[in-house]
Amino acid sequence: MAHFYESTLVDTVDGFQCKTYANEHPEGYVIVKPKYIPADAIKGDGLKYRFLFEKCLVRFNLFARKAELQKYVDQFRKKFPDYIYDSPMHKNWFFVVPKNKIKTVHDGRNGLRELLKVPLRDCDLYLVLVQELVGLLMKSGVSSENLGIMHSTLLGNYTYGKSDIDIIIYGKDNGWKILDYLKTAHHEKLKWKTAEEWAIYYKEHQTSESRHFTEQEYVNHMIRKRYEGTFGGTVFTLFTVEEPHETWFKWGEETYEPMGVATVKARVTNHDNSHVRPGFYEVSDAELLDYDERSALDKTIPIKRFVTYSIPFVQQAITGEHIKACGLLERVTPKNGKPYYRIVVGYFDAYISDRREKEYIKALELG
Amino acid sequence: MHFYESSIITTKDGLHCQVYANEHPTHSILVKPKYIPTDKVESSALQYRFIGGKKMNRLDMWAEKNALKIYVEQFKKAYPHYVMQSNMHSGSRLFFSVPIEHIERVYFPRTGLKELMSMPVDALDVHLRNVHEFVMLLTKSGLRMKDFGVTYSTLMGHYMSNISDINIVVYGKENFWKLMEFLENAEHSMLRWKTREEWLEFYGRRNRHKIWDKEKFLKIMERKRSEGFFGNTLFVIFAAEKEEERTCQWGSERYSDEGIAKVTGIVSDEFNSAVRPGFYTIEKSVVLSGKNVPVSQVFFHSRDYCMLARRGEKIEACGTLERVEPKQGEPYYRIVIGYLDSYITERREQEQMKVIS
Repeated sequence: MAHFYESTLVDTVDGFQCKTYANEHPEGYVIVKPKYIPADAIKGDGLKYRFLFEKCLVRFNLFARKAELQKYVDQFRKKFPDYIYDSPMHKNWFFVVPKNKIKTVHDGRNGLRELLKVPLRDCDLYLVLVQELVGLLMKSGVSSENLGIMHSTLLGNYTYGKSDIDIIIYGKDNGWKILDYLKTAHHEKLKWKTAEEWAIYYKEHQTSESRHFTEQEYVNHMIRKRYEGTFGGTVFTLFTVEEPHETWFKWGEETYEPMGVATVKARVTNHDNSHVRPGFYEVSDAELLDYDERSALDKTIPIKRFVTYSIPFVQQAITGEHIKACGLLERVTPKNGKPYYRIVVGYFDAYISDRREKEYIKALELG
Repeated sequence: MHFYESSIITTKDGLHCQVYANEHPTHSILVKPKYIPTDKVESSALQYRFIGGKKMNRLDMWAEKNALKIYVEQFKKAYPHYVMQSNMHSGSRLFFSVPIEHIERVYFPRTGLKELMSMPVDALDVHLRNVHEFVMLLTKSGLRMKDFGVTYSTLMGHYMSNISDINIVVYGKENFWKLMEFLENAEHSMLRWKTREEWLEFYGRRNRHKIWDKEKFLKIMERKRSEGFFGNTLFVIFAAEKEEERTCQWGSERYSDEGIAKVTGIVSDEFNSAVRPGFYTIEKSVVLSGKNVPVSQVFFHSRDYCMLARRGEKIEACGTLERVEPKQGEPYYRIVIGYLDSYITERREQEQMKVIS
């Protein structure tokens, strides 16, 4: 088991650019989502191409059409088996970078520290906005040492007017501090989508996730989130990552038995870990609504967690609310402690299976 | 050793360097550091850029001279491995070079363009689409795709649409001149040449306005076909010398500094003025100041002096007078403009070359 910050960009010796996808990792590996893969390694039919750093790269997108994604993943698995980790503990697989294949780790925290040293007179309009936004976030009481930048802002291949500003917040408490601060923060450049704008967004961006929501439900969920807004007309997104002492599980201390797809309703008893990836909602009073293998369940074991690897389902519900989720039901056996069940949405395999159209998490009070 | 000029090298300690010549010593590549991390050496007299997650200084040889001199001295101490002592040049010549073992990555303009042109056009943004279309136009000259490259911010991916230039590399001097001939008459709805006002804005920068009479400058520049606009984006076309085209191998000549001199002469061959470093072969030289010797070459390290003069035109040049002793052949004299050390000495204000008739 090893800690490695989520949302960190990693370049590999094979020319991939990857983004870390968890804070806790198996020994010798880092769980990632490949972001750019050289087109000369695998052609990207159905995926988009980008020209970056002298190379024609395929932008790996989990939301590409399923058949094409499946084909791409199959080719990837054959050509780069080292980058797939079949976890015996999960009976599932993850994209990974073996540590001996890491070429460069782009440290978002160092990147921001460097950026803040650049005088504003030498920053372009985009970087001025980034500095101003960071200044605003620091008004929450979180220091710049606990913030970072990522993606094109960090690597320098951003396009003003098009590229988002992606900010990393280091530490779960810091994450909540900023998200809470933003509920009431005022700044002339800070804007949140209105209900009308979210409704338009819903109509224009029908995804496998949003199809489980009516327009009104979707708007109600999104309007209270504070991880995505615009600043000076540029979209910004906030990603909270866990410090080493904060990870909510340690790799290797539990085993997971996949038990098929289930739909469950429950009451949230704690949402403190719902703003990280993977994140979870602690639940009680779970009620199994739809599940084909009821006889396989041990009724004495409670369903205690709804886990998400998918960003659209972070911060969906708060303590006290009732939620409903459809995902992979797993029996969790901790090395120390009692077994429990959990629902997981957003495992990599979900995107190329029929779970892609089924999985969601929603707060029932927001219906 | 041959290594194409205009390629980009990133070093293991984070410098971004432009390859600054086509001919190099055996174990290192002559470069001009372009972006330098600020953790070891820093100057507020230079512009800052945020690149690759680092605060960098942009090394501008036209920055305020005293500050530049201090910076270069600090750089030499911080990065002694990138300062090359040439035993072929007398005087205190300054060469920056990257030893092979310090190279992190080379960005090859030809490879980059090949990759770019292999992209589906609908996957390209406005800037890259412009590059794509421009290169398609250039190939109508009869040159092949592999005769071209793309460099600087487009190659590295940190360009800004509507702001960054398109920098095209043409491999081969022969090819370059052929392309210039093609562009004399080329027509395309997105192609236009710089206006007088745009050239005058260019004239106002560096030391150009101190060297040139305005009207003469405009006349010389308006005939250039290596710079213009395509889709309202500035493009600049550079030539890189092929190995078989080189006029001199590194180590085959020795150079003695004979002080500053100003000469006039008639250009008898401008073929090699397309590249950096490049030169004009001259005849009927007259020394206006400095040691009175026959001068047969005006040699330059700055692109400012590329393709200024044509055969039969009279030029005036001021720079370091060098006696050149080839291992094989007769010694000769040349004027050299733009050694990197000239930018931090009084030569910065003295060195120049212009067409006088």
